Amino acid sequence: MESYRKPVKSDCEALLSRFRQTQSVRFEVFSNIWKEMKFVQIFRQSHNKRAFCRMVLDVAYCYFMPPFSFQIRVGGLYLLYSFYHCQNTSPPEQIRVALKDWEDVRNFEKESLDAQHLDVAYILQQLLTCKAFLFTAMPTLLHYNRKRTEEKPELCDEFMERPCRPQELINTQLTEEMSNIHELYKNMKASISSQMSTADAASVSLIRDGIVSELCSAVMEFYNWQQNKDTVDEAQPSQERISSQQECSNRAKLLASIKSKAYEEASEAVKSRRHRQVEIDLPAEEDKSFLKLHHSRVPKPSLKNRTKEQIRMSGNMGREAARTTLINHLVTLEPALQEKIKNERRFKSLNEHLESQTISTSH
Amino acid sequence: MAASEQPVEPSSNIPDYEFMNLNSTPFHIGSFRDEWLKRLKPEDFSFQPGDQDLFEARFAAAMGVGEETMTELRSVCSVNSLLCHSGDQERDPEVVPPNTTLKTLIHRKKKNNKTQKCTRNRHDLYADELDRLTAGRLPDTKANQLPEGELILTINIYFPSSVEKFNHLRPHTTLLMTGSHTLAELRDAVCCVSDLQVCGEFSSTPDMAPDFMSKDLFKSAYFFFEGVFYNDMRYPECQDISSTTIDWAKSHNYPPFSTAKMEDTRLVDLKVKVGFPYLYCHQGDCEHLVIITDVRLAHRSDCLDTDLYPLLTHKNRLMTQKCSVCHVFIGRWYTTRDQFAPSDPCLFCDKCFRMLHYDKEGNKLGDFLAYPYVDRGAFN
Repeated sequence: MESYRKPVKSDCEALLSRFRQTQSVRFEVFSNIWKEMKFVQIFRQSHNKRAFCRMVLDVAYCYFMPPFSFQIRVGGLYLLYSFYHCQNTSPPEQIRVALKDWEDVRNFEKESLDAQHLDVAYILQQLLTCKAFLFTAMPTLLHYNRKRTEEKPELCDEFMERPCRPQELINTQLTEEMSNIHELYKNMKASISSQMSTADAASVSLIRDGIVSELCSAVMEFYNWQQNKDTVDEAQPSQERISSQQECSNRAKLLASIKSKAYEEASEAVKSRRHRQVEIDLPAEEDKSFLKLHHSRVPKPSLKNRTKEQIRMSGNMGREAARTTLINHLVTLEPALQEKIKNERRFKSLNEHLESQTISTSH
Repeated sequence: MAASEQPVEPSSNIPDYEFMNLNSTPFHIGSFRDEWLKRLKPEDFSFQPGDQDLFEARFAAAMGVGEETMTELRSVCSVNSLLCHSGDQERDPEVVPPNTTLKTLIHRKKKNNKTQKCTRNRHDLYADELDRLTAGRLPDTKANQLPEGELILTINIYFPSSVEKFNHLRPHTTLLMTGSHTLAELRDAVCCVSDLQVCGEFSSTPDMAPDFMSKDLFKSAYFFFEGVFYNDMRYPECQDISSTTIDWAKSHNYPPFSTAKMEDTRLVDLKVKVGFPYLYCHQGDCEHLVIITDVRLAHRSDCLDTDLYPLLTHKNRLMTQKCSVCHVFIGRWYTTRDQFAPSDPCLFCDKCFRMLHYDKEGNKLGDFLAYPYVDRGAFN
């Protein structure tokens, strides 16, 4: 049964990454992906159904908990709901909730209610009503299993919540307040310093003048760096988009970074309402452009290729570097010989198989 | 991993992992239950099935949404939207469908294609048997029903250390107990063959053998949880057998242990770690590992009849040795220096033993030594 854990985990991650790409938290979207992947067939098991259902629910449970991002947690909740109702054991296996996680569940519910995600709240409360939860001490059964095959459960990096504490700290309210206070301070300093000599006035400067704008630019730098971490540096499209971003104002970008936590599609029933109240309206194109920055991963070129591209050596050194080394000459085979050996290796196993067959038939 | 920090409550009541996926930090079971009950509404853990209409009405009122929104929600979130083709779904629920993208099914196909081992382990076949019999069982009278909000503990008792085979792999028995049970009741629920051992040679008096069972002779036992020895003091013959260990520990500069009475301690009064091995010792030296694998609130799909608790949900069966004459019954007598027996020593079941060694009046025939034998699998 433990051997099924890895494939189940990779299937769940495949589904959740597709869900993440839709940038939506609607259950309809999730169930379409579920149907497309024919996920319900995962329960086709002839024996040990109970143990399998238990393991599947345990695997899905970890996606419902922090430190994953809100969208992934919604996906985890939908996964739990779907697994609970589609399982083929009776009485059904319950979803185990540990006491230490209850606070997180409650916070999650509050977040979804605040954002008016009706289907998320409906599903969570529906599960509570139909007694799908089992209130336990620890999330899984523990029997001191010293044979730990994987040292640490690997959390998929793409699903993690992007740390956004700089943005949370330096938000618009703070910058407004700071600039106000800075103005007041400057005025007060000016009024006092007019009564003092110039030497004394210079010594009263305690803070930098442009502190507010410096803070904003630092946070924006951090945000841009975060966005760029996923994309490849040489990729052309991202560079274009980054340059277009840099044309916008600092303050608007700050808002955009905070807003990236929210999702563009509101609940079906409340289409007219925005689900997050934002102070400033951003132009529509800019909105979409940075949301699309979530590229899929492009594999990096090898070190040899990167070196060839990036390092330019001129003169004698360049000519020498371009030549193959003596050792390389000694160990490479002639091209014809290399081909021959490759073919031999390919057909070796086939030859052996044919030989053994002929021997057996000759007996 | 340290215990979780909760700003309001002391962290010792909220269990967290001491070592990841291994065992939890120690916590008081009664307080754990109180913490859960504080956070839940009574209907969350009641045994009544949830009322869908009431829930929807309340949800609509709380969210301030109208009837058509609710119908929309209901249809979008219904389970039917998850089933792909209801037609050929039922056809072959056990066969792996072709052209599947799910890694789980590919893995399953690979496993099915590999040559199956012809000897399927009986334990896997009957693993859920006891559970199936009792799950969801309702009591005859209301008074016997498990109260809502009661705790259920799953306790694994392992084979005694003298059994080398499954010592730390498979639990011998898995018991479900409620929080209000005492440790003495747990002790009574543990079945160990060493309790049935009879010491002594009984060739001349075979009928007297059952009177001298170790269970009746040596009644002392103790549980060891988190530095406290819980002794069984119910009977006048019981002694405090943990005192030897405590005195030894004191002389060797170990942290001091304390004692308590088994029959006075209920499971909710214990402070234990989930998933950590503890000790049950009886018969002086027969030691069993005890691990509490799970502590949780009762649920309506559990067995709700208190008469059935402590509930045995899993029992591991051992191979038994049969009588050397009939090969049908389990061996009950062990003879040595027996002139009638084909081998020395030799096992007999009760019937064959008496037929071979005693005449119709019950007189001993021939010269032999007979000891009552308790097979390891006697509790199968």
